[in-house]
Amino acid sequence: MQSTSTILTMLNEVLTTELTSINQYFLHARMYKNWGFNTLNDKCYKKSIMDMKQADKLIERILFLEGLPNLQRLGALSIGEHTVEMIKCDTGVQHTQIEQMKAAIALCENEKDYVTRELLTEILEHEEEHLDWLETQDYQIQSMGIDKYLQAQL
Amino acid sequence: MFVCLCKGITDSDIQQLVLEHGVGSIRELKQHVALGSECGSCTKVAQMVIDNTIMDETLFKDVG
Repeated sequence: MQSTSTILTMLNEVLTTELTSINQYFLHARMYKNWGFNTLNDKCYKKSIMDMKQADKLIERILFLEGLPNLQRLGALSIGEHTVEMIKCDTGVQHTQIEQMKAAIALCENEKDYVTRELLTEILEHEEEHLDWLETQDYQIQSMGIDKYLQAQL
Repeated sequence: MFVCLCKGITDSDIQQLVLEHGVGSIRELKQHVALGSECGSCTKVAQMVIDNTIMDETLFKDVG
């Protein structure tokens, strides 16, 4: 099924964000694992895998719409040096992605591509949930201090 | 955070070079570290870190 080039360009941009996000969360997960923070490792690892599944759906959708998914393009990773900075970097990435998803959903609405919109809405829901988790971690660090917070992540 | 992942150069490394060695551009930065020598995708952020550090040091001091 043919689609408009604006939808395909947008889907490829969303795909690039997902592919970047996969790598960022995977590296953060394994950095946490290396430091022994298993709870944080699990969370970031699962987020990375979730992003892979979302990227898969985007790739399939782009191919279905007779476009060419660009798996070569990657954005810049934002990798922190320690836990607080890593959470801050992830929060920044989530904010950017959520803004992008909202614009993409609005475009789908305009172009009357309701199936793509549903796919993007589902992704947006997961991204918002992860942003909420990151905000919770930030609150916990502020209220209990980084030492106690990290002890709870072992 | 890491600015250059290829060479493992952080924003605090760059800030230190700006403050201690008077680095003011990417070209001068490259004389000290191998930043931007592999994939080159970090130069934009590196420039931003240099600019922000210089701004912090001079512009705001004069005002106060």
